[in-house]
Amino acid sequence: MSEIEVRHLSKSFTQKDLKVDALSDININIEKGDIYGIIGMSGAGKSTLVRCLNYLERPTDGQVIVRGQELGSLSEKELRQARMKIAMIFQSFNLLQQKNTVDNISFPLKIQGFPMKEARTKAKELLQTVGLADKAKSYPSQLSGGQQQRVAIARALACDPDILLCDEATSALDPQTTDQILELIKQINETMGITVVIITHQMAVIQKVCNRVAIIENGHLVEEGKVIDIFSHPKSRAAKELILRDIHGEPHGLMDPIDEITEGKKIRIVFTANSAFEPVVSNMILKFGQPVNILKANTRNVGGVAKGDMILQLPADRETRLQMEDYLRERGLDVEEVTD
Amino acid sequence: MNSQTFHLLMNGLWETVYMTLVSTLLGYLIGLPVGILLTVTDKEGIHPNAFVYRIVDVIINIMRSIPFLILLILLIPFTRFLVGKSYGTTATIVPLVVSAAPYIARMVESSLKEVDSGVIEAARSMGASNWTIVFHVLLVEAKTSLIVGATITLGTILGYSAMAGTVAGGGLGDIAIQYGYYRWKTDIMLITVALLVILFQIFQMIGMKIASVLDHRK
Repeated sequence: MSEIEVRHLSKSFTQKDLKVDALSDININIEKGDIYGIIGMSGAGKSTLVRCLNYLERPTDGQVIVRGQELGSLSEKELRQARMKIAMIFQSFNLLQQKNTVDNISFPLKIQGFPMKEARTKAKELLQTVGLADKAKSYPSQLSGGQQQRVAIARALACDPDILLCDEATSALDPQTTDQILELIKQINETMGITVVIITHQMAVIQKVCNRVAIIENGHLVEEGKVIDIFSHPKSRAAKELILRDIHGEPHGLMDPIDEITEGKKIRIVFTANSAFEPVVSNMILKFGQPVNILKANTRNVGGVAKGDMILQLPADRETRLQMEDYLRERGLDVEEVTD
Repeated sequence: MNSQTFHLLMNGLWETVYMTLVSTLLGYLIGLPVGILLTVTDKEGIHPNAFVYRIVDVIINIMRSIPFLILLILLIPFTRFLVGKSYGTTATIVPLVVSAAPYIARMVESSLKEVDSGVIEAARSMGASNWTIVFHVLLVEAKTSLIVGATITLGTILGYSAMAGTVAGGGLGDIAIQYGYYRWKTDIMLITVALLVILFQIFQMIGMKIASVLDHRK
């Protein structure tokens, strides 16, 4: 049994007699212990999708089955019960501004009718878990973005959830803080066995922590699978586009120079475990005696395997180019052409 | 100033404070729940209900569009029925509450609508009921704004209470009309105005101070 099963989910909104399909026929299975990424450009429908997973948005069609329970069949009260085990964190943290951190974290326990003292004790423990033990009396406005998100995570953990939904949880944070928060999420997933669903528009976030990913474009699921596979062999146009963008999501500096170059062919090479430690590109240049432009390069750790990709501009000469591509393939690299 | 005049003014001051505070309090007893009802049933609210919203909305608009002086006269039979007479401080409280309640409902509505929708969504995601959201999210998050609203309301009611002086409503307004206007005692008129100004300042200062002390957003 999957932890979360989404079957033929569709969601449409009506705005002034105009029907807008936000999601159409989405099918995904999220297994227990997964860190499941859902990625797409803004407006793709991913935020709507995550809100359907706890029925903050009611799907127009289809089913969401969480731990064997079909959410659509529940009464309002049962649904509230179910939500207590599906925690959620947000891009803008959404903490109570007029409550200090301990009271914020106790809030979900208070809703469940826990005695205040017990709730506070648990809140303090959780504050320890997220590394903010000294901020018990602070108010959200006195905390940095990263600290506020940690409080939000502690709050999410208060009810011992089975699932944690993260809606663009790191999008408002700087790269370093993003890494720390992702690290914390990963740690929670590993130590507490909580299934995590991450919504993001940043491929780097997916690569850093997710094991599986779904790519959403214009409300459709265009590609789904293991992160490692999709990163090496993206099939859909949307997946390629997301991977080719800069690691922090902004497409700066990459597309423009490519457009300016009229000669030569651009290829994307992907390093796998056995090739990443060899200076492949320099060796190739030495062997062929032909210059190669590195338009973009970036290596990182994906799911414990050294991974990286580069975009090279090869010489215009077709013969040399094909030989170079073969050379790279022989050394265990994935080679594919980049089309604009 | 002789002791008789002093006594008169102090009595007027007390009556004004009494009318203003009691009217505001009773006004909130009605206006606060109505304001919550408006926020909740609004189409962006946590339990939209166009029918309820529309009806309450229209009633409030009608009540608010009647000038206070006219309301004062219109309500005389109602006031007599409730209090037994239509003049004096306690009688004045009736039209003051009737005029304050819709005003307060609007103030409360606008304060509650300022609450970040993200925080409400977060509470919903935790399984909070609408009831919990109203009492533990909306009212808590909006408390500063609600207190500022109450301070403004208090000032408005203070002004209205003085207006009631024209129909023997008691308080400082009554004295200003009786002595300052009908008997040409400009000095008494000026003192009542000064007292009203001071009273207004005190209300405003206390209200803003409380709001700022309770605000944790800074």
